[in-house]
Amino acid sequence: MADLKILAVDDSPTMRRIIINTLKRAGYSDVLEASDGRDALAKMKVEKVNFVITDWNMPEMDGLAFVTALRSMGEYKSLPILMVTTRSVKDDIMEALKAGVNNYIVKPFTPDTLKEKIEQVLAG
Amino acid sequence: MSENQPLQYRIQEEIAELAASVNQIVTKFKELQNPLEESREKVPKATEQLDKISEQTEAATHQMLDRVEKIVQQVEDSKKGLDEIKDCASDGRTGDISALADDLIEKANVTCNDAYTIMDALQFQDITAQQMNHAASLLEDIEFRLQNIMGALKDQPDDKADDENGRDRKARVYDPHADLFDKKTDQSAIDDLFARKG
Repeated sequence: MADLKILAVDDSPTMRRIIINTLKRAGYSDVLEASDGRDALAKMKVEKVNFVITDWNMPEMDGLAFVTALRSMGEYKSLPILMVTTRSVKDDIMEALKAGVNNYIVKPFTPDTLKEKIEQVLAG
Repeated sequence: MSENQPLQYRIQEEIAELAASVNQIVTKFKELQNPLEESREKVPKATEQLDKISEQTEAATHQMLDRVEKIVQQVEDSKKGLDEIKDCASDGRTGDISALADDLIEKANVTCNDAYTIMDALQFQDITAQQMNHAASLLEDIEFRLQNIMGALKDQPDDKADDENGRDRKARVYDPHADLFDKKTDQSAIDDLFARKG
């Protein structure tokens, strides 16, 4: 947990603050933030990240395109990715699953659910 | 009869032109029908979204107010507890202080959890922002179609109205099904999907 650097990607500054606060409460204090997929990719070029939490609906590059881009890069093939989005239609969830997300949470989420899913993804 | 023929031709020509004009008008009205129909369908959808935003914002605000009221009560109780500690200290009843302090620590923990619950409830802002973007997008579509209709009626190019407005459309990103309370698939069903894949 101590050396886990998490990248929180969401276009809503409110959601980023909530996610970061929730992560800190759960003991994950090393958190980076990005406002969309493109911004996230730029930040990942500079800083090594070992867990990604991403929204779906974002401008410039949405979460699905971001996950697809990551999975196409050799170094991020097995990077743990958790999608946190309002999209709760089953077809959307299946699409995210196919794109390569490791787990999926529908907003609004509880801190317990976020913590539990991070632990599940890390446990593989 | 032959003297009347040119006049008859002229009348026939006039009638033919009139008929062609009427046909053009009918065609134009038929062209206007689709955008009008689509606009008519979008108005109730936009209204429905706006009503949902109003209801969900109110529900989320009430949830937060419940917590705030509880926090205020806990702070009042804590103030009383501190007064009791102060009395104990001045009366020399030091043995009671530890139990009172434990009670205050417990109250502080509850208050802290309630504050976090308020923070969690603030997720409604992201959801209602998406609902508002959806409603705005529907209204912009209606505006665009009405501008086209106006352009057609004035016999002007479709893009004239956009130029008159002199503004660009904001890129709107939203989930049309975003909802604070209604999740189309619950978390346990999502977990099952991922477990099957796993």
